[in-house]
Amino acid sequence: MFALRGIAVSLTFFVVFYCLLSALVAVAWRSLKWLHATEQSLAGLLFASRVLPLAASVVITFAFVVPSFQLLEPRSIDEGMGAMPLALGVCALLLIAGGCFRVIAAQTKTSRVVARWLEGAHSLNAGAQTVTFCSRREAPPLTLVGVRKPRVLVSESTVVLLSHEELHIALKHEVAHMQSRDNLKKLIFRFCPFPGMAKLESAWSQAAELAADDAAVSNLDDAVDLAAALVKLSRLVPVEAAPVCTVGFVTGSISTRVARLLAWNEAGKAQPMRIRLWYAVPPALVALSFVFATYGPALALTHEVTEWLVR
Amino acid sequence: MTKSFSIFGSDSRAQLGPFEQQVLQKLWSHGSATVRELLADGKIHQAYTTVMTTMDRLYKKGLLDRVAEGRAFRYTPRHSPEELQRVAALEGIRQLLGSGDASSLPLSYLVEALSTHDAQLLDELQLLVERKRREIQSRETKSREQS
Repeated sequence: MFALRGIAVSLTFFVVFYCLLSALVAVAWRSLKWLHATEQSLAGLLFASRVLPLAASVVITFAFVVPSFQLLEPRSIDEGMGAMPLALGVCALLLIAGGCFRVIAAQTKTSRVVARWLEGAHSLNAGAQTVTFCSRREAPPLTLVGVRKPRVLVSESTVVLLSHEELHIALKHEVAHMQSRDNLKKLIFRFCPFPGMAKLESAWSQAAELAADDAAVSNLDDAVDLAAALVKLSRLVPVEAAPVCTVGFVTGSISTRVARLLAWNEAGKAQPMRIRLWYAVPPALVALSFVFATYGPALALTHEVTEWLVR
Repeated sequence: MTKSFSIFGSDSRAQLGPFEQQVLQKLWSHGSATVRELLADGKIHQAYTTVMTTMDRLYKKGLLDRVAEGRAFRYTPRHSPEELQRVAALEGIRQLLGSGDASSLPLSYLVEALSTHDAQLLDELQLLVERKRREIQSRETKSREQS
């Protein structure tokens, strides 16, 4: 009974904290757009904002709620559970089960569609740093598929339509998506659904595209080749929607991407701020020290909060 | 609004004629009404029985709800005009997709229509790319000539 109560309390805290933080993120993420940062940094920040509610809820539940219950809840007391915490606990379980279902469904659908695209495909030696296949089926013009073993799929029409340089730079764009693990990120979004997050995900998608453009291009010739490839492949509209674990080349606002690529020099001169991962280390260390210093009182406070929640 | 259109599939009972549309418009403006109330504002110049039959037909098509009020019925539209428009659009697309042997074929027509819409933009972008290429080439030629 004690263990069950502990689980119910933890789940209740998790779902309440997750919903509050998600609602806050759904409202506040737009302020990130005002940052004068590189697209790669912006994509990173948007991704971090999107997964923050889930990550923070899991960390706080395991670091504070579970230990506070274990240490501070008297085992001898046979306390009953109210209807509200039980309902919230069930909501948390449904949220987790729903997330798992969405991830499995997305993976299954992607595997099925990709297997169809790969029927009769042959490997293509296009100088990319990943396995590349040329598809004979009605596959999208150029797309990165899969999470664990990402592969680039190129349709036959794409090979015919693009020049060698254009194909090479377009493949570099897809490889940039692979190095950023964008398919995995899309799958993580599926795991933590919350209403009002679609615009944040769409902004992340656009930033990820621009970041992949930036990563692929190293001079003006590359930029023009990538813009040309983008315009040519935009005319090959796929007849079916791409599954979740794929990143297509023709995604986001094409005119914005082309205009940005054609102004490559000017964009280079602007030198927007690049936010690196290690920038987060000092604040994280400060936060960690603070947690260590105040862990006892924090546990007591968490226990009080959970007591209030379950009553 | 005088042309008849199909709302829920190709079933003949689901065709809306001009008078049915007029009655539906009146009901939207009233919110809910009996036959007598609709006739009372004097804008519908039809016999009581015609209006009653029309409203009964709309009820059977699933467009109106009704509750008994004395010896008559009070009718309420089941959908708002926007909802009806959305349902009609969805149904139109559904009919289009269900019309061919290969389901991807009608979808490709739709895609083609959308692509045509975008083609002009892509042509303009193509011109920009070509212009930029020419600029780069002429710059390279000039620098080669200078060196």
